[in-house]
Amino acid sequence: MIEKSAYLACPPARAFALFTERASEWWPEAVRHTSDPRSEIRMLADGRFWERASDGHEVELGRVIVWEPARLLVLDFYPGTDAQHPTEVVVRFAGENGGTRVVVRHGPKPESADLWVAGAPGFERAWKLVIPALEGIAEADHR
Amino acid sequence: MAATSMHALDALGNPVRRTILSTLRTSPLAVGELATRFPVSRPAISRHLRVLEEAGLVEHRAQGARSVYAVRVQGLASVRDFLDEFWDTALSQLEELARE
Repeated sequence: MIEKSAYLACPPARAFALFTERASEWWPEAVRHTSDPRSEIRMLADGRFWERASDGHEVELGRVIVWEPARLLVLDFYPGTDAQHPTEVVVRFAGENGGTRVVVRHGPKPESADLWVAGAPGFERAWKLVIPALEGIAEADHR
Repeated sequence: MAATSMHALDALGNPVRRTILSTLRTSPLAVGELATRFPVSRPAISRHLRVLEEAGLVEHRAQGARSVYAVRVQGLASVRDFLDEFWDTALSQLEELARE
């Protein structure tokens, strides 16, 4: 299980909106499925969670399972694995000193338990993600 | 883990090695088979393979008189490591966004 937290200098309702409506701006560029660093990424109350490239090409990144604005967001998450082996992201938003504490817990689901630690054998999508990410870092290092 | 991944990044800093790695991702190949696909000499391919192997990114096994090279999946991040790094970047960018 991964647990990370961030402190956002805004109230929980705005933190929730930044997280879901402006994911394109915080989502790492190296981990775009569509290979378009300016692709749009959205999580929506109706359950959809997608990435759309500027040419209109769309990829489902997961599903929104729980949508409670300003409080809680639970996602089935496909990046790193695939739709048949989702991982689970639980994001809690809580007011703290006038801002918001955002706590992300990300762990395997029963379908992805084996993959979680073992690497990604045979997972073409994971390779497509990991290799460009590594290449980006390697290129930056050698510049 | 940290030392190995630095090494892996160094190994990936070369475009021929990146192409070799992505070719091997599709199927394991012998050195000779790899050499026919690249405009570089067979000794050069062997050198690149040695660097990739030292970085833990590929492994080889003897198949008769040939050495067959394959991607070593554990050489790259596990799903957990990949996602751990994802959230480090994502959350620091989210904090930035909230400061605007």
